[in-house]
Amino acid sequence: MNWASIQRAERQLRSSVFRVGWPRTNKDRAAAMISSLFLHVHPAKVRPASLRFSYSLGLGLISLFLLLVLTVTGVFLMLSYTPHPPEAYRSMKDLEFVVTFGTVLRNMHRWAAHAMVFVVFLHMCRVFFTGAYKPPRQFNWVVGVGLLLLTLALSFTGYLLPWDQLAFWAITVGTNIAAYAPLVGEQLKYLLLGGHVIGPGALLRFYVLHCVILPVAIFMLAAVHVWRVRRDGGLAVPSEALPSPVEEGPAGAFPASTRSYGLMALTYRPAVPIQEIEPDEEVMSWPHLLFRELILLLAVLVVLHVVALSFNAPLEEIANATSTPNPAKAPWYFLGLQELVHYSALVGGVLVPGLLVLGLLLVPYLDPKLRGVGVWFPPQRRLANIVFGVLAGAMVALTFVGMFFRGPNWHWIWPWAR
Amino acid sequence: MTDDSGAKAGPDAERRRFLFATGTASVVAGILGFTAATVRFLFPNVLYEAPSRFPVGLPQDFPPGSATFLPERRLFVFNSPQGFYAISSVCTHLGCNVRHDQQQGFSCPCHGSAFDGLGRVVSGPAPRSLAWFGLSLSARGELVVDEQRLVDPDYRFKA
Repeated sequence: MNWASIQRAERQLRSSVFRVGWPRTNKDRAAAMISSLFLHVHPAKVRPASLRFSYSLGLGLISLFLLLVLTVTGVFLMLSYTPHPPEAYRSMKDLEFVVTFGTVLRNMHRWAAHAMVFVVFLHMCRVFFTGAYKPPRQFNWVVGVGLLLLTLALSFTGYLLPWDQLAFWAITVGTNIAAYAPLVGEQLKYLLLGGHVIGPGALLRFYVLHCVILPVAIFMLAAVHVWRVRRDGGLAVPSEALPSPVEEGPAGAFPASTRSYGLMALTYRPAVPIQEIEPDEEVMSWPHLLFRELILLLAVLVVLHVVALSFNAPLEEIANATSTPNPAKAPWYFLGLQELVHYSALVGGVLVPGLLVLGLLLVPYLDPKLRGVGVWFPPQRRLANIVFGVLAGAMVALTFVGMFFRGPNWHWIWPWAR
Repeated sequence: MTDDSGAKAGPDAERRRFLFATGTASVVAGILGFTAATVRFLFPNVLYEAPSRFPVGLPQDFPPGSATFLPERRLFVFNSPQGFYAISSVCTHLGCNVRHDQQQGFSCPCHGSAFDGLGRVVSGPAPRSLAWFGLSLSARGELVVDEQRLVDPDYRFKA
Protein backbone atom coordinates (compact mmCIF):
# COMPACT_ATOMS: atom_id res chain seq x y z
CA MET A 1 0.00 0.00 0.00
CA ASN A 2 1.38 3.35 -0.94
CA TRP A 3 0.38 6.77 0.28
CA ALA A 4 -1.75 7.57 -2.76
CA SER A 5 -3.92 4.49 -2.33
CA ILE A 6 -4.42 5.27 1.35
CA GLN A 7 -5.55 8.76 0.39
CA ARG A 8 -7.87 7.34 -2.23
CA ALA A 9 -9.38 4.91 0.28
CA GLU A 10 -9.84 7.73 2.77
CA ARG A 11 -11.57 9.84 0.12
CA GLN A 12 -13.90 7.00 -0.77
CA LEU A 13 -14.75 6.39 2.85
CA ARG A 14 -15.41 10.08 3.46
CA SER A 15 -17.58 10.48 0.39
CA SER A 16 -19.59 7.45 1.43
CA VAL A 17 -20.45 9.26 4.67
CA PHE A 18 -20.71 12.86 3.45
CA ARG A 19 -22.29 13.16 0.02
CA VAL A 20 -21.16 16.76 -0.31
CA GLY A 21 -17.65 17.54 0.82
CA TRP A 22 -16.66 20.77 2.47
CA PRO A 23 -18.71 23.14 0.31
CA ARG A 24 -16.83 25.69 -1.75
CA THR A 25 -19.54 26.88 -4.13
CA ASN A 26 -23.00 28.21 -3.38
CA LYS A 27 -24.48 25.18 -5.07
CA ASP A 28 -22.54 22.90 -2.72
CA ARG A 29 -23.45 25.08 0.26
CA ALA A 30 -27.12 24.58 -0.57
CA ALA A 31 -26.54 20.87 -1.18
CA ALA A 32 -24.74 20.51 2.16
CA MET A 33 -27.81 21.79 3.95
CA ILE A 34 -30.31 19.74 1.99
CA SER A 35 -28.43 16.43 1.95
CA SER A 36 -27.98 16.15 5.72
CA LEU A 37 -30.73 14.81 7.95
CA PHE A 38 -29.61 17.07 10.77
CA LEU A 39 -29.12 20.22 8.70
CA HIS A 40 -31.98 19.95 6.25
CA VAL A 41 -34.41 21.63 8.61
CA HIS A 42 -32.54 24.78 7.60
CA PRO A 43 -33.33 26.58 4.38
CA ALA A 44 -30.52 26.83 1.84
CA LYS A 45 -30.66 30.61 2.07
CA VAL A 46 -31.89 33.00 4.75
CA ARG A 47 -32.85 36.64 4.86
CA PRO A 48 -30.23 38.84 6.48
CA ALA A 49 -33.05 40.32 8.61
CA SER A 50 -33.69 36.90 10.18
CA LEU A 51 -30.06 36.59 11.17
CA ARG A 52 -29.98 39.82 13.18
CA PHE A 53 -29.50 38.90 16.82
CA SER A 54 -31.27 42.08 17.96
CA TYR A 55 -34.45 40.82 16.27
CA SER A 56 -34.82 37.26 17.58
CA LEU A 57 -32.33 37.40 20.48
CA GLY A 58 -31.77 33.74 19.64
CA LEU A 59 -34.33 32.79 22.28
CA GLY A 60 -35.94 29.90 20.41
CA LEU A 61 -32.56 28.37 19.64
CA ILE A 62 -31.40 28.83 23.23
CA SER A 63 -34.54 27.00 24.40
CA LEU A 64 -33.73 24.14 22.04
CA PHE A 65 -30.10 23.99 23.17
CA LEU A 66 -31.19 23.93 26.81
CA LEU A 67 -33.58 21.09 26.00
CA LEU A 68 -30.69 19.13 24.48
CA VAL A 69 -28.44 19.82 27.48
CA LEU A 70 -31.26 18.72 29.79
CA THR A 71 -31.72 15.50 27.83
CA VAL A 72 -28.04 14.59 27.96
CA THR A 73 -27.51 15.50 31.63
CA GLY A 74 -30.87 13.93 32.50
CA VAL A 75 -29.96 10.58 30.97
CA PHE A 76 -26.68 10.57 32.92
CA LEU A 77 -28.53 11.46 36.12
CA MET A 78 -30.88 8.53 35.54
CA LEU A 79 -27.88 6.20 35.77
CA SER A 80 -27.43 7.03 39.43
CA TYR A 81 -31.00 7.58 40.53
CA THR A 82 -33.48 5.22 42.21
CA PRO A 83 -37.08 6.43 41.94
CA HIS A 84 -38.20 5.18 45.33
CA PRO A 85 -38.12 6.83 48.74
CA PRO A 86 -35.85 7.06 50.65
CA GLU A 87 -33.22 5.82 48.14
CA ALA A 88 -34.12 8.74 45.88
CA TYR A 89 -32.73 11.14 48.47
CA ARG A 90 -29.65 8.95 48.96
CA SER A 91 -29.10 9.16 45.20
CA MET A 92 -28.75 12.94 45.63
CA LYS A 93 -26.20 12.40 48.37
CA ASP A 94 -24.36 9.92 46.16
CA LEU A 95 -24.30 12.42 43.33
CA GLU A 96 -22.91 14.98 45.73
CA PHE A 97 -20.25 12.87 47.45
CA VAL A 98 -19.61 9.67 45.50
CA VAL A 99 -20.22 10.10 41.77
CA THR A 100 -17.42 11.74 39.77
CA PHE A 101 -18.65 15.15 38.58
CA GLY A 102 -22.05 14.24 40.07
CA THR A 103 -22.51 17.66 41.64
CA VAL A 104 -21.71 19.49 38.40
CA LEU A 105 -24.06 17.19 36.50
CA ARG A 106 -26.92 17.87 38.89
CA ASN A 107 -26.16 21.59 38.98
CA MET A 108 -26.20 21.79 35.18
CA HIS A 109 -29.50 19.94 34.97
CA ARG A 110 -31.08 22.10 37.65
CA TRP A 111 -29.93 25.46 36.33
CA ALA A 112 -30.61 24.54 32.70
CA ALA A 113 -34.16 23.59 33.72
CA HIS A 114 -34.71 26.92 35.47
CA ALA A 115 -33.14 28.75 32.52
CA MET A 116 -35.37 26.92 30.06
CA VAL A 117 -38.57 28.02 31.82
CA PHE A 118 -37.28 31.58 31.79
CA VAL A 119 -36.03 31.57 28.18
CA VAL A 120 -39.19 29.93 26.82
CA PHE A 121 -41.19 32.69 28.53
CA LEU A 122 -38.92 35.36 27.01
CA HIS A 123 -39.25 33.69 23.60
CA MET A 124 -43.03 33.95 23.87
CA CYS A 125 -42.73 37.65 24.77
CA ARG A 126 -40.41 38.22 21.80
CA VAL A 127 -42.81 36.54 19.39
CA PHE A 128 -45.69 38.59 20.74
CA PHE A 129 -43.94 41.96 20.75
CA THR A 130 -42.80 41.44 17.15
CA GLY A 131 -46.24 40.24 15.99
CA ALA A 132 -44.69 37.03 14.70
CA TYR A 133 -47.81 34.96 15.45
CA LYS A 134 -49.76 36.55 12.60
CA PRO A 135 -50.81 34.52 9.54
CA PRO A 136 -49.52 32.13 8.39
CA ARG A 137 -47.93 31.42 11.78
CA GLN A 138 -51.08 31.28 13.96
CA PHE A 139 -50.94 27.58 14.62
CA ASN A 140 -47.25 27.60 15.39
CA TRP A 141 -48.01 30.03 18.21
CA VAL A 142 -50.52 27.47 19.53
CA VAL A 143 -47.84 24.77 19.30
CA GLY A 144 -45.56 27.16 21.19
CA VAL A 145 -48.12 27.52 23.99
CA GLY A 146 -48.14 23.72 24.20
CA LEU A 147 -44.35 23.75 24.46
CA LEU A 148 -44.50 26.34 27.26
CA LEU A 149 -46.94 24.14 29.21
CA LEU A 150 -44.80 21.04 28.61
CA THR A 151 -41.72 22.94 29.80
CA LEU A 152 -43.53 23.85 33.01
CA ALA A 153 -44.80 20.27 33.44
CA LEU A 154 -41.31 18.84 32.93
CA SER A 155 -39.82 21.26 35.42
CA PHE A 156 -42.58 20.56 37.95
CA THR A 157 -42.36 16.76 37.71
CA GLY A 158 -38.57 16.97 38.03
CA TYR A 159 -38.94 19.06 41.16
CA LEU A 160 -40.16 16.09 43.24
CA LEU A 161 -37.38 13.69 42.26
CA PRO A 162 -34.67 14.76 44.80
CA TRP A 163 -37.16 13.81 47.52
CA ASP A 164 -36.05 16.52 49.92
CA GLN A 165 -38.20 18.89 51.97
CA LEU A 166 -38.12 21.50 49.19
CA ALA A 167 -39.38 18.92 46.67
CA PHE A 168 -42.01 17.36 48.92
CA TRP A 169 -43.73 20.55 50.02
CA ALA A 170 -43.54 22.28 46.66
CA ILE A 171 -45.31 19.28 45.12
CA THR A 172 -47.78 19.16 48.05
CA VAL A 173 -48.76 22.76 47.35
CA GLY A 174 -48.73 22.24 43.58
CA THR A 175 -50.90 19.12 43.46
CA ASN A 176 -53.36 20.60 45.94
CA ILE A 177 -53.77 23.58 43.61
CA ALA A 178 -54.72 21.07 40.88
CA ALA A 179 -57.33 19.61 43.26
CA TYR A 180 -59.22 22.92 43.15
CA ALA A 181 -60.15 22.39 39.49
CA PRO A 182 -63.95 22.16 39.35
CA LEU A 183 -65.53 18.68 39.08
CA VAL A 184 -62.39 16.73 38.14
CA GLY A 185 -59.96 18.34 40.60
CA GLU A 186 -59.84 15.62 43.25
CA GLN A 187 -59.73 12.85 40.64
CA LEU A 188 -56.95 14.71 38.82
CA LYS A 189 -54.86 14.88 41.98
CA TYR A 190 -55.56 11.19 42.70
CA LEU A 191 -54.50 10.28 39.17
CA LEU A 192 -51.36 12.42 39.33
CA LEU A 193 -50.26 10.99 42.68
CA GLY A 194 -51.55 7.47 42.13
CA GLY A 195 -53.12 7.73 45.59
CA HIS A 196 -54.02 10.26 48.25
CA VAL A 197 -50.57 11.10 49.55
CA ILE A 198 -47.16 11.85 48.08
CA GLY A 199 -45.50 8.46 48.55
CA PRO A 200 -43.63 5.86 46.49
CA GLY A 201 -46.43 5.66 43.93
CA ALA A 202 -46.41 9.39 43.34
CA LEU A 203 -42.62 9.47 43.02
CA LEU A 204 -42.70 6.69 40.41
CA ARG A 205 -45.39 8.47 38.44
CA PHE A 206 -43.51 11.76 38.46
CA TYR A 207 -40.32 9.92 37.47
CA VAL A 208 -41.90 8.24 34.45
CA LEU A 209 -43.66 11.45 33.45
CA HIS A 210 -40.41 13.39 33.78
CA CYS A 211 -38.10 10.90 32.07
CA VAL A 212 -40.28 9.30 29.39
CA ILE A 213 -43.75 10.64 28.69
CA LEU A 214 -43.16 14.40 28.80
CA PRO A 215 -39.75 14.33 27.02
CA VAL A 216 -41.23 12.32 24.15
CA ALA A 217 -44.12 14.78 23.97
CA ILE A 218 -41.91 17.88 24.05
CA PHE A 219 -39.55 16.53 21.39
CA MET A 220 -42.43 15.70 19.09
CA LEU A 221 -44.00 19.11 19.59
CA ALA A 222 -40.63 20.87 19.26
CA ALA A 223 -40.07 19.05 15.97
CA VAL A 224 -43.45 20.27 14.72
CA HIS A 225 -42.61 23.78 15.96
CA VAL A 226 -39.26 23.96 14.14
CA TRP A 227 -40.68 22.31 11.04
CA ARG A 228 -43.44 24.88 10.85
CA VAL A 229 -41.07 27.79 11.34
CA ARG A 230 -39.41 26.55 8.17
CA ARG A 231 -42.67 25.80 6.32
CA ASP A 232 -44.14 29.17 7.25
CA GLY A 233 -41.22 30.92 5.62
CA GLY A 234 -38.69 31.38 8.40
CA LEU A 235 -38.81 34.21 10.88
CA ALA A 236 -41.43 36.89 10.33
CA VAL A 237 -40.20 39.93 8.39
CA PRO A 238 -41.89 43.31 7.90
CA SER A 239 -42.40 42.88 4.14
CA GLU A 240 -44.88 40.08 4.82
CA ALA A 241 -47.35 42.65 6.05
CA LEU A 242 -47.39 44.39 2.66
CA PRO A 243 -50.37 43.63 0.44
CA SER A 244 -49.57 40.90 -2.03
CA PRO A 245 -50.62 41.55 -5.64
CA VAL A 246 -50.00 37.92 -6.52
CA GLU A 247 -53.11 35.91 -7.34
CA GLU A 248 -54.02 32.95 -5.20
CA GLY A 249 -52.23 29.91 -6.54
CA PRO A 250 -53.16 26.29 -6.01
CA ALA A 251 -54.10 25.85 -2.39
CA GLY A 252 -53.06 22.95 -0.23
CA ALA A 253 -49.69 21.80 0.96
CA PHE A 254 -47.87 24.96 0.00
CA PRO A 255 -49.01 28.04 1.93
CA ALA A 256 -48.39 31.49 0.61
CA SER A 257 -45.04 31.97 2.22
CA THR A 258 -43.40 28.72 1.22
CA ARG A 259 -40.04 29.28 -0.36
CA SER A 260 -37.93 26.29 -1.32
CA TYR A 261 -34.76 27.60 -2.81
CA GLY A 262 -33.00 24.28 -2.66
CA LEU A 263 -35.75 22.84 -4.82
CA MET A 264 -36.57 26.10 -6.50
CA ALA A 265 -38.67 24.55 -9.19
CA LEU A 266 -41.17 23.51 -6.56
CA THR A 267 -42.10 26.99 -5.44
CA TYR A 268 -45.83 27.25 -6.07
CA ARG A 269 -46.37 30.89 -5.35
CA PRO A 270 -44.39 33.56 -3.60
CA ALA A 271 -45.73 35.36 -0.56
CA VAL A 272 -44.65 38.76 -1.75
CA PRO A 273 -43.97 40.11 -5.18
CA ILE A 274 -40.82 38.64 -6.64
CA GLN A 275 -39.27 42.08 -6.78
CA GLU A 276 -39.67 42.41 -3.01
CA ILE A 277 -37.46 39.48 -2.09
CA GLU A 278 -34.95 38.33 -4.60
CA PRO A 279 -33.18 35.13 -3.71
CA ASP A 280 -30.00 37.08 -4.33
CA GLU A 281 -30.78 39.39 -1.42
CA GLU A 282 -30.52 36.43 0.86
CA VAL A 283 -27.35 34.86 2.16
CA MET A 284 -26.33 31.22 2.23
CA SER A 285 -27.29 29.38 5.41
CA TRP A 286 -23.90 27.76 5.25
CA PRO A 287 -21.99 29.43 6.79
CA HIS A 288 -24.02 32.49 7.87
CA LEU A 289 -26.79 30.75 9.83
CA LEU A 290 -24.84 27.66 10.87
CA PHE A 291 -21.96 29.71 12.23
CA ARG A 292 -24.30 31.84 14.34
CA GLU A 293 -26.04 28.76 15.68
CA LEU A 294 -22.76 27.18 16.71
CA ILE A 295 -21.61 30.38 18.42
CA LEU A 296 -24.90 30.54 20.31
CA LEU A 297 -24.63 26.87 21.33
CA LEU A 298 -21.11 27.51 22.54
CA ALA A 299 -22.25 30.55 24.52
CA VAL A 300 -25.07 28.56 26.15
CA LEU A 301 -22.67 25.77 27.12
CA VAL A 302 -20.08 28.18 28.51
CA VAL A 303 -22.61 30.10 30.59
CA LEU A 304 -24.16 26.87 31.88
CA HIS A 305 -20.78 25.48 32.90
CA VAL A 306 -19.80 28.68 34.68
CA VAL A 307 -23.09 28.73 36.58
CA ALA A 308 -22.97 24.99 37.36
CA LEU A 309 -19.41 25.26 38.66
CA SER A 310 -20.22 28.34 40.74
CA PHE A 311 -23.60 27.60 42.29
CA ASN A 312 -24.84 24.37 43.83
CA ALA A 313 -28.39 23.16 43.26
CA PRO A 314 -30.34 23.36 46.51
CA LEU A 315 -30.82 20.22 48.57
CA GLU A 316 -32.57 20.29 51.92
CA GLU A 317 -33.07 17.48 54.44
CA ILE A 318 -34.98 14.36 53.41
CA ALA A 319 -38.72 14.73 52.74
CA ASN A 320 -40.77 14.65 55.93
CA ALA A 321 -44.56 14.68 55.68
CA THR A 322 -44.91 15.56 59.37
CA SER A 323 -42.96 18.80 59.33
CA THR A 324 -43.98 21.64 57.05
CA PRO A 325 -41.24 24.21 56.49
CA ASN A 326 -42.36 27.75 57.15
CA PRO A 327 -42.92 29.24 54.62
CA ALA A 328 -43.54 26.37 52.19
CA LYS A 329 -43.00 27.64 48.67
CA ALA A 330 -43.80 26.18 45.26
CA PRO A 331 -41.10 26.20 42.52
CA TRP A 332 -40.29 29.82 41.63
CA TYR A 333 -42.15 29.80 38.31
CA PHE A 334 -45.35 28.92 40.21
CA LEU A 335 -44.83 31.52 42.94
CA GLY A 336 -46.96 33.99 40.99
CA LEU A 337 -49.74 31.39 41.12
CA GLN A 338 -49.08 30.68 44.79
CA GLU A 339 -49.35 34.39 45.52
CA LEU A 340 -52.74 34.41 43.78
CA VAL A 341 -53.72 31.19 45.53
CA HIS A 342 -52.99 32.91 48.82
CA TYR A 343 -55.94 35.19 48.09
CA SER A 344 -58.23 32.51 46.68
CA ALA A 345 -57.40 28.98 45.63
CA LEU A 346 -60.16 28.74 43.03
CA VAL A 347 -59.48 32.13 41.44
CA GLY A 348 -55.71 31.98 41.72
CA GLY A 349 -55.16 28.30 41.12
CA VAL A 350 -57.74 27.54 38.46
CA LEU A 351 -59.55 30.56 37.05
CA VAL A 352 -56.61 32.90 36.38
CA PRO A 353 -54.21 30.28 34.94
CA GLY A 354 -57.05 28.72 32.94
CA LEU A 355 -58.02 32.04 31.41
CA LEU A 356 -54.37 32.94 30.77
CA VAL A 357 -53.77 29.72 28.83
CA LEU A 358 -57.06 30.08 26.95
CA GLY A 359 -56.18 33.68 26.12
CA LEU A 360 -52.73 32.66 24.88
CA LEU A 361 -54.22 29.94 22.67
CA LEU A 362 -56.68 32.40 21.13
CA VAL A 363 -54.23 35.29 20.61
CA PRO A 364 -53.43 34.63 16.93
CA TYR A 365 -57.09 34.09 16.06
CA LEU A 366 -58.34 37.19 17.88
CA ASP A 367 -55.67 39.37 16.31
CA PRO A 368 -55.00 38.13 12.77
CA LYS A 369 -54.55 41.51 11.03
CA LEU A 370 -51.30 41.61 9.12
CA ARG A 371 -49.73 44.80 10.33
CA GLY A 372 -46.67 45.58 12.34
CA VAL A 373 -45.14 42.17 11.68
CA GLY A 374 -41.46 41.45 12.16
CA VAL A 375 -40.40 44.55 14.10
CA TRP A 376 -40.21 45.21 17.82
CA PHE A 377 -43.03 47.28 19.36
CA PRO A 378 -44.58 48.50 16.07
CA PRO A 379 -46.84 51.53 16.61
CA GLN A 380 -49.71 49.78 14.74
CA ARG A 381 -49.85 47.17 17.49
CA ARG A 382 -49.46 49.44 20.49
CA LEU A 383 -52.69 48.35 22.22
CA ALA A 384 -52.01 44.59 21.82
CA ASN A 385 -48.46 45.01 23.06
CA ILE A 386 -49.57 47.08 26.05
CA VAL A 387 -52.21 44.50 27.06
CA PHE A 388 -49.74 41.63 26.73
CA GLY A 389 -46.98 43.60 28.45
CA VAL A 390 -49.23 44.44 31.42
CA LEU A 391 -50.33 40.80 31.85
CA ALA A 392 -46.82 39.41 31.50
CA GLY A 393 -45.51 42.13 33.81
CA ALA A 394 -48.19 41.31 36.39
CA MET A 395 -47.20 37.64 36.38
CA VAL A 396 -43.53 38.60 36.78
CA ALA A 397 -44.38 41.03 39.59
CA LEU A 398 -46.47 38.42 41.44
CA THR A 399 -43.63 35.92 41.07
CA PHE A 400 -41.21 38.46 42.54
CA VAL A 401 -43.55 39.09 45.46
CA GLY A 402 -43.77 35.35 46.12
CA MET A 403 -40.02 34.94 45.85
CA PHE A 404 -38.72 37.84 47.88
CA PHE A 405 -41.55 39.46 49.82
CA ARG A 406 -43.15 36.48 51.53
CA GLY A 407 -41.83 35.15 54.82
CA PRO A 408 -43.16 32.82 57.54
CA ASN A 409 -46.94 32.28 57.40
CA TRP A 410 -46.86 33.95 53.98
CA HIS A 411 -46.74 37.31 55.73
CA TRP A 412 -45.34 40.30 53.90
CA ILE A 413 -41.64 40.74 54.55
CA TRP A 414 -39.08 43.13 53.08
CA PRO A 415 -36.26 41.17 51.44
CA TRP A 416 -33.61 43.22 53.28
CA ALA A 417 -35.28 42.71 56.65
CA ARG A 418 -34.55 39.00 57.03
CA MET B 1 -60.93 19.95 -8.04
CA THR B 2 -62.41 16.84 -9.64
CA ASP B 3 -63.11 13.71 -7.68
CA ASP B 4 -60.69 11.06 -8.89
CA SER B 5 -61.76 8.32 -6.47
CA GLY B 6 -63.69 6.61 -9.27
CA ALA B 7 -66.93 6.57 -7.34
CA LYS B 8 -70.01 5.73 -9.35
CA ALA B 9 -73.62 5.82 -8.37
CA GLY B 10 -75.43 2.55 -7.88
CA PRO B 11 -75.51 -0.40 -5.48
CA ASP B 12 -71.68 -0.63 -5.47
CA ALA B 13 -71.31 2.94 -4.26
CA GLU B 14 -73.95 2.42 -1.63
CA ARG B 15 -72.27 -0.73 -0.37
CA ARG B 16 -68.92 1.08 -0.34
CA ARG B 17 -70.44 3.93 1.69
CA PHE B 18 -71.93 1.49 4.16
CA LEU B 19 -68.65 -0.40 4.58
CA PHE B 20 -66.73 2.85 4.98
CA ALA B 21 -69.14 4.09 7.64
CA THR B 22 -69.04 0.77 9.51
CA GLY B 23 -65.26 0.71 9.34
CA THR B 24 -64.94 4.27 10.58
CA ALA B 25 -67.39 3.62 13.42
CA SER B 26 -65.43 0.50 14.45
CA VAL B 27 -62.14 2.38 14.49
CA VAL B 28 -63.63 5.22 16.53
CA ALA B 29 -65.24 2.75 18.95
CA GLY B 30 -61.92 0.91 19.25
CA ILE B 31 -59.99 4.10 20.00
CA LEU B 32 -62.57 5.17 22.60
CA GLY B 33 -62.42 1.74 24.21
CA PHE B 34 -58.64 1.76 24.39
CA THR B 35 -58.70 5.29 25.81
CA ALA B 36 -61.17 4.26 28.49
CA ALA B 37 -59.11 1.18 29.34
CA THR B 38 -55.94 3.30 29.57
CA VAL B 39 -57.59 5.84 31.86
CA ARG B 40 -58.95 3.05 34.04
CA PHE B 41 -55.49 1.47 34.19
CA LEU B 42 -54.06 4.73 35.54
CA PHE B 43 -56.30 4.59 38.60
CA PRO B 44 -54.69 2.31 41.20
CA ASN B 45 -56.79 -0.53 42.65
CA VAL B 46 -54.73 -1.03 45.79
CA LEU B 47 -53.20 1.77 47.79
CA TYR B 48 -50.21 0.96 49.94
CA GLU B 49 -50.97 3.86 52.19
CA ALA B 50 -51.31 4.09 55.96
CA PRO B 51 -54.66 2.76 57.28
CA SER B 52 -57.30 5.40 57.93
CA ARG B 53 -58.37 3.81 61.25
CA PHE B 54 -55.69 3.42 63.89
CA PRO B 55 -55.10 3.48 67.67
CA VAL B 56 -53.33 6.53 69.06
CA GLY B 57 -52.77 5.45 72.69
CA LEU B 58 -54.51 4.96 76.02
CA PRO B 59 -56.84 7.77 77.19
CA GLN B 60 -54.61 8.43 80.22
CA ASP B 61 -51.72 9.19 77.79
CA PHE B 62 -53.50 12.46 77.06
CA PRO B 63 -53.61 14.63 80.23
CA PRO B 64 -56.78 16.66 80.89
CA GLY B 65 -56.79 19.99 79.07
CA SER B 66 -53.96 18.93 76.75
CA ALA B 67 -53.55 19.26 72.99
CA THR B 68 -51.26 16.55 71.58
CA PHE B 69 -49.84 16.72 68.07
CA LEU B 70 -49.25 13.30 66.48
CA PRO B 71 -46.99 14.19 63.52
CA GLU B 72 -47.03 10.70 61.92
CA ARG B 73 -50.83 10.76 61.85
CA ARG B 74 -51.08 14.45 61.00
CA LEU B 75 -53.69 15.21 63.65
CA PHE B 76 -54.22 16.70 67.09
CA VAL B 77 -55.87 14.86 70.01
CA PHE B 78 -57.56 17.06 72.63
CA ASN B 79 -58.67 16.05 76.12
CA SER B 80 -61.30 18.56 77.22
CA PRO B 81 -63.48 18.40 80.33
CA GLN B 82 -66.40 17.34 78.06
CA GLY B 83 -64.38 14.55 76.46
CA PHE B 84 -61.84 13.69 73.76
CA TYR B 85 -61.81 15.02 70.21
CA ALA B 86 -59.40 14.76 67.27
CA ILE B 87 -58.75 17.48 64.68
CA SER B 88 -56.76 17.01 61.45
CA SER B 89 -53.57 19.06 61.08
CA VAL B 90 -53.92 19.08 57.28
CA CYS B 91 -54.78 22.61 56.16
CA THR B 92 -57.89 22.58 53.96
CA HIS B 93 -56.26 25.10 51.64
CA LEU B 94 -53.26 23.29 50.15
CA GLY B 95 -52.42 20.48 52.54
CA CYS B 96 -49.67 21.90 54.77
CA ASN B 97 -49.50 20.98 58.47
CA VAL B 98 -51.11 23.64 60.67
CA ARG B 99 -49.59 24.64 64.02
CA HIS B 100 -51.59 24.85 67.23
CA ASP B 101 -51.48 27.47 69.92
CA GLN B 102 -53.64 27.20 73.08
CA GLN B 103 -54.64 30.88 72.87
CA GLN B 104 -54.76 31.59 69.14
CA GLY B 105 -55.95 28.27 67.74
CA PHE B 106 -54.46 26.90 64.49
CA SER B 107 -52.35 28.68 61.89
CA CYS B 108 -50.96 27.45 58.56
CA PRO B 109 -47.37 28.27 57.59
CA CYS B 110 -47.92 28.04 53.87
CA HIS B 111 -50.45 30.71 53.05
CA GLY B 112 -51.33 32.20 56.40
CA SER B 113 -54.77 30.67 56.98
CA ALA B 114 -55.88 30.99 60.62
CA PHE B 115 -58.41 28.80 62.45
CA ASP B 116 -59.93 29.15 65.92
CA GLY B 117 -59.52 26.56 68.68
CA LEU B 118 -62.25 24.40 67.11
CA GLY B 119 -60.69 24.48 63.65
CA ARG B 120 -63.13 27.00 62.15
CA VAL B 121 -61.67 29.40 59.57
CA VAL B 122 -60.91 32.83 61.05
CA SER B 123 -58.93 34.35 58.20
CA GLY B 124 -56.86 33.45 55.17
CA PRO B 125 -57.55 31.46 52.00
CA ALA B 126 -58.64 28.14 53.60
CA PRO B 127 -62.09 27.27 52.19
CA ARG B 128 -63.27 24.90 54.96
CA SER B 129 -62.84 24.17 58.65
CA LEU B 130 -60.25 21.60 59.69
CA ALA B 131 -61.58 18.02 59.62
CA TRP B 132 -62.84 16.39 62.85
CA PHE B 133 -62.45 12.62 63.17
CA GLY B 134 -64.63 10.19 65.06
CA LEU B 135 -63.16 8.35 68.06
CA SER B 136 -63.80 4.97 69.63
CA LEU B 137 -62.18 2.60 72.10
CA SER B 138 -60.35 -0.55 71.05
CA ALA B 139 -60.64 -3.85 72.90
CA ARG B 140 -57.38 -2.97 74.65
CA GLY B 141 -58.88 0.29 75.85
CA GLU B 142 -56.93 2.45 73.39
CA LEU B 143 -58.36 5.53 71.71
CA VAL B 144 -58.96 4.77 68.02
CA VAL B 145 -59.19 7.51 65.38
CA ASP B 146 -61.26 6.84 62.25
CA GLU B 147 -60.32 9.27 59.47
CA GLN B 148 -63.17 7.98 57.31
CA ARG B 149 -65.71 9.11 59.92
CA LEU B 150 -65.99 12.90 59.86
CA VAL B 151 -67.83 14.50 62.79
CA ASP B 152 -69.10 17.95 63.77
CA PRO B 153 -67.22 20.33 66.10
CA ASP B 154 -69.68 19.62 68.95
CA TYR B 155 -68.44 16.01 69.03
CA ARG B 156 -66.86 14.89 72.33
CA PHE B 157 -65.91 11.32 73.18
CA LYS B 158 -66.14 10.08 76.77
CA ALA B 159 -63.51 7.39 77.28
